[in-house]
Parts: sequence; structure tokens; C-alpha cells
Amino acid sequence: MTQQGRPTRRGIGRGIASTGAALALAAAGAHVAVAAGHAPATPIPGHAARAVSVNDTGYLRLLHASGEILSEVGPISGTLPGTASVRLDVGSESVTATFEIRVHGGGSIAGTGRAKIGSDGRYTSFAGTLSVTHGTGRFAHARGAGKLYGTIERRSDKLTVQTREGTLNY
Amino acid sequence: MLIATLFLCACAATPASAPAASQAGTAAQPAQASQAHTVSLTATFSPERLGAGTTIRIGFQVSTPAGRAPSPVTDVELLLPTGLSIATSDLGLETCVPAKLESEGLAGCPPDSLMGRGSAAAEVPFGAAFVTERAPVRLFSGPLQNGHPQLLFFAEGEYPVLANIIFGALVLPAQSPFGGVLNAELPLVPSVTDGPDVALVQLTTTIGAKGITYYERVKGKTIGFHPRGILLPKSCPRGGFTFAAHMTFQDATHASAHTTVPCPRSG
Repeated sequence: MTQQGRPTRRGIGRGIASTGAALALAAAGAHVAVAAGHAPATPIPGHAARAVSVNDTGYLRLLHASGEILSEVGPISGTLPGTASVRLDVGSESVTATFEIRVHGGGSIAGTGRAKIGSDGRYTSFAGTLSVTHGTGRFAHARGAGKLYGTIERRSDKLTVQTREGTLNY
Repeated sequence: MLIATLFLCACAATPASAPAASQAGTAAQPAQASQAHTVSLTATFSPERLGAGTTIRIGFQVSTPAGRAPSPVTDVELLLPTGLSIATSDLGLETCVPAKLESEGLAGCPPDSLMGRGSAAAEVPFGAAFVTERAPVRLFSGPLQNGHPQLLFFAEGEYPVLANIIFGALVLPAQSPFGGVLNAELPLVPSVTDGPDVALVQLTTTIGAKGITYYERVKGKTIGFHPRGILLPKSCPRGGFTFAAHMTFQDATHASAHTTVPCPRSG
């Protein structure tokens, strides 16, 4: 079953409205796999695969900071609403991220992202890609990959991220 | 008295300079000098508290053997330790445009673009001897150049050379144990006709919140606040915070130095 989420695009402050920070999860193909030529000795429990196109927006606040590392947490809304925890390693040119989204109704998805910094001044914006590498509960088989966009308001370290143009398989 | 206003942006650096800067991260050596010059490097944190905002004071001094004329510094790489990031600081919330800094001086830059203060000294040929000229320095957040953050140095010289010198330093990645490098090409400052150029022999600047007030609008009122500055990590890199400098001179010689800030106590 596939749900097609509607892309969101919100300006979040001076100088970045046109940036349209967005974050996307994209499908990474079927999850269940059996090694070619090797039939399993015992039946594998069935898993009904799903593919969801995800367009989420999160507004996160600083939890703590240490040198180049910002840890942020906050609500995320959209196709998979929940609470997001993000750890950003902010370099001079790029941002690397690890994230976990605890989805309302149970389960979580987690992964990593990497993006290039594209602005300066009060807002640091970034754009790149992310991968969903694992999950829990109903998302235990979650896999995905897509685009990552976001902005950091440097005065308060508030982080805005969005997903866009992708599908999550689980 | 000579009058000059010079601006040289580090964006003039050739593409090849960026990899060189990155590679320099592995080349930190104890203070050394090729034939003509020696360089000493100093760095401090204030306050020294892990996990807290701090102001970095970093500076270098160039020494020349007695009887030899100093050669102008043409290229500087200041390597910053890992764990420090200008990007996660709240410094430089506004951007100073070099053209406005050049035409209007300090008034041309918004207060929220100021990132540090310092001083510089230069050897200026004056007759048969050299005179030391000292000048205050301001450090501003400049516009991105080819995607690289940029800091702008502004020095106001008054005597014997009246010169406002502006140069940009790109913030580039560096290899471990360094977290970044400030790479700057320095402009040559002419002195007397047919005489040698002015030679920078000392530069010190802060990068941080000390003595800096920013302003923001809150409920219709303009409120001043002190930025937190550069955020120290909560744990110390092995061996402390190592800084290094690599310098190139007009006479094609090079000199390097490094220094380490011992690990501060936890917050």
C-alpha cells in the first residue's frame, strides 16, 4: 500500500523562505531477501511490505551542544508524525546527522544524513541526502533514502527539517 | 605619510590552495623556520570551561634575525583544533560586505557581524631603518566564498602609513587533529616609492564573545545581548587543543609553529 503525502513548503524566517527546507525519504526497494540458490530450511514469517511516500516537517529545539555537535529534539508532523531526535555534527562545509523519529502510534525509524551547508549569517541552511537504516516495532524493517534539507537558526539553535520526494519501505 | 586602502579577499586563492590547506593539517611540526624567519604562535581560551562558550585569542609573531629586513607575509594558514566550530557558534549573525567595509570603514558593517578584536604590528621602512606600526584589528563575518565561510580582517593603520587593510580568510576543512583552517592571502602594502613593502610581524585577534554586544528586536524593542561565542566540546581532545600556523613570505620562504591549549576543567 502506498500513501502519497503532500509536499509541504514553509518559509521559516528571514533569508530562508525561498530555501523551502525539506527532507525526503525515498524507497530503497524490497526489504525481504533470501540468498540466491539457498532455500530456507524453515519457513520465514510473512512480512507485508509497505511503501510510504513521506513528507514531514520538524521544528526542533536544542537539547544540548558540545563543540561541533548539536543535539535537538522536537515534534515532527506530516506523513509520519511523531517526535524527532537529531544529532548534528556541523562542520565548516557540511553537516552530518543521525536521527530517530518515534512515530505516533508506535515504532520508530532511524538513520543518517549528510548535507552541504549553503548559507551564512543568522541562518545556516543545508541540503543533502539521508538514509533510513533501521527501525523498531512496525518499522522494524524500515529502509529508505532521499533528500535532506534544513535550517539552523544560529541565535537559538532551533532546527527546522523537512522530508520530501521519497518513500519509506517497511 | 602614505595613504592606502587595500582589500584582498581570500577568494582570490586558487582552487589548489584549498587542498593544500587541508593537507596542512597533517603537517604540524614544532616551531621551525626556514632561513629567514621564525614564527611563534599563541592561543588561549577565556573562559577555560569545557562545554561552555569561550573566546579564543590567537596570535602569531614573526621574528627576523638581526640585521635582516623582514619579508612581508603573503599567505597564512591558521589551523584550529578539532572540536571547535565557528558554525555552531552564534557569532556573525549578520554578514559584513567587504565593499562597504572598504568604503565606509567600521560603520559599514552591522554590529552583529563583529566576531573579534585584536591588534597587528608591521615593520615599515622609514629612511634607513624600520619603524614598527601598530594597528587595531577587527574581525567580521564575511560572505560565503565558493561555499566556504569567510572571516574578514580589518586593520586601521595610522602612522607612519595611513592604511586600512582588509583581507579575507576562508574557513576550510582540515585533517585530524585539526578541525578547520583559516586560510588567508595577505595584501602587499606599499611603503615609500621603490622601497620594500610593509611587513606584518604580529597579529593577534579574538574569536568570540568577549567585549561584543549584539542586538535583536524583542517585542518591538531593540535588546542587546552577548553571544555565547565559540562552544568548547564537553570532552577534551587527546593532548589538548592544538593550533598551528603555516606562513609563506614574499621572499618565498616558509615558517611554521604550533601551540597547544591544555585541557580545561569540565564545566
